[in-house]
Amino acid sequence: MSPSEQPKAKIEVKNLTKKFGDLLVLDHINFNIQKGEMVAIVGPTGCGKTTFLNCMSKLTDTTEGDIFIDGAPADPVKHNLAFVFQEPTALPWRTVAENVVYGMEVKGVPEKERKERLDTILNLVGLKDTADLYPNQVSASMMQRIAVARAFAVNPDLLLMDEPYGQLDVKLRFYLEDELVKLWQTLNSTVLFITHNIEEAVYVADRILVLTPKPTKVRAEVIVDLPRPRDFLDPKFVEIRRQVTELIRWW
Amino acid sequence: MAYQTVKAKKSLKLRILPWISLTTVVLLWQFCVSPPGVSDWRIPGVLLARPYDVLLLGIEKLSDVNPDGATLMTHAWVSLQESVTAFVLSLLIGLPLGLLMGWFGVVRGLFRPIFEMWRPIPPVAWIPLTIFWFGIGMEGKVFIILLGGMTPCIINAYMGVRMTNPVHIQMARTFGASDWKIFTSICIPSALPMVFGALQIALGNCWTTLVAAELLASDQGLGYLITAGRSLGRTDIVVLGMISLGITGVIISQIIYRIEAKLLAGIRR
Repeated sequence: MSPSEQPKAKIEVKNLTKKFGDLLVLDHINFNIQKGEMVAIVGPTGCGKTTFLNCMSKLTDTTEGDIFIDGAPADPVKHNLAFVFQEPTALPWRTVAENVVYGMEVKGVPEKERKERLDTILNLVGLKDTADLYPNQVSASMMQRIAVARAFAVNPDLLLMDEPYGQLDVKLRFYLEDELVKLWQTLNSTVLFITHNIEEAVYVADRILVLTPKPTKVRAEVIVDLPRPRDFLDPKFVEIRRQVTELIRWW
Repeated sequence: MAYQTVKAKKSLKLRILPWISLTTVVLLWQFCVSPPGVSDWRIPGVLLARPYDVLLLGIEKLSDVNPDGATLMTHAWVSLQESVTAFVLSLLIGLPLGLLMGWFGVVRGLFRPIFEMWRPIPPVAWIPLTIFWFGIGMEGKVFIILLGGMTPCIINAYMGVRMTNPVHIQMARTFGASDWKIFTSICIPSALPMVFGALQIALGNCWTTLVAAELLASDQGLGYLITAGRSLGRTDIVVLGMISLGITGVIISQIIYRIEAKLLAGIRR
């Protein structure tokens, strides 16, 4: 019925369930993500977003169900997963460039290719000038760009983003959202973007999944079929934003 | 966009104040102690030597081996050799052990109980056993100093690893990093500020244990110089030994501090 149920999905989430003791947090979540798709997940606060992400990135075990990447159960060692956290995760003892390289280093990308990818990505995110500075010498938005660049640099099968721009001011946010879309389009990555900012979701995503409060299920799926770059004031944009807002507010 | 390093200038006040305080202390000290052979209302010379006399003695001791058998430089060199050997050994043993204890549960489980038992025993309490084992040579002294230096190394390295930012570990995990990779690329660099703290403390411990170890039995070393001064009833020799210990300690501390500032460029500003 929807594109998410076409065969050959890149990412398949099947019956994802997580219980802490008797507390059911995630309740049989099912959805697929196509290769190269940017999917946003929105939900009310306290909807088990963090648990959901930890399960997706395999930081915690699932109680039931699993996540499949290209048909195989997701495994951080075998697959290329990358995670952009809400809080800054730049390693303070590495320069900006060394930070961006870190993911590739863990993945064992050959030295030569590392350099090439580093160059490309630093140019894309505008960190070229600051490559040799330490994180405590750059601004907060750059810290987050380091994390984003590091994540994209490993060419992830799945890139998880946990409100990466939640702590930044509005103007920077717009700017970095554009940058994210540009990166994603250039590198053709598969991205799962979690946010509680509806406008942000509509702006960046191909598809929005709306979650319910705990126990969390996927409540609805909204396809954002708007040309890019998108315009916040476009009546269609406003309409979709209204629709998603209603879905969250409904109960 | 241009990014430049901004060098903050120390204010004049901050540069002058340390010198004022040092000079004041030395002058007060000089003024409050009677010169040799004079007895008035001031502190008598048999209890404390004047800084000026100590300075004169220091200059004289640069070449004169009397009355304690060696020049000041020989004493300092012997002490330096003992404590630096012990210091380096304590780093080589203590730091890896502490770091590994911080990250690997197996190492922690194996070594923690032994360490907790061993820790409260002061190094000086080991002197009798040390004499049985090593006799009264350099090895014995190094062993005792080493015991004093190792504790802060183990504790700080351990705490440094335990205090690693969990988000950094999670980040590495999501990239699929192995335990060993996380240990080497995240935990050890995170622990570095604490480890450098340990270097300073360990050095202090080594330097203090040195005097105790040289009480053991020796005929050279700054600790011995102090003991010799005591048995000769010469306060100027005692103070000279103490000041030499202090100055040498400061010099080594400064060297470590410089290395630290270089290595920790990103972590501390």
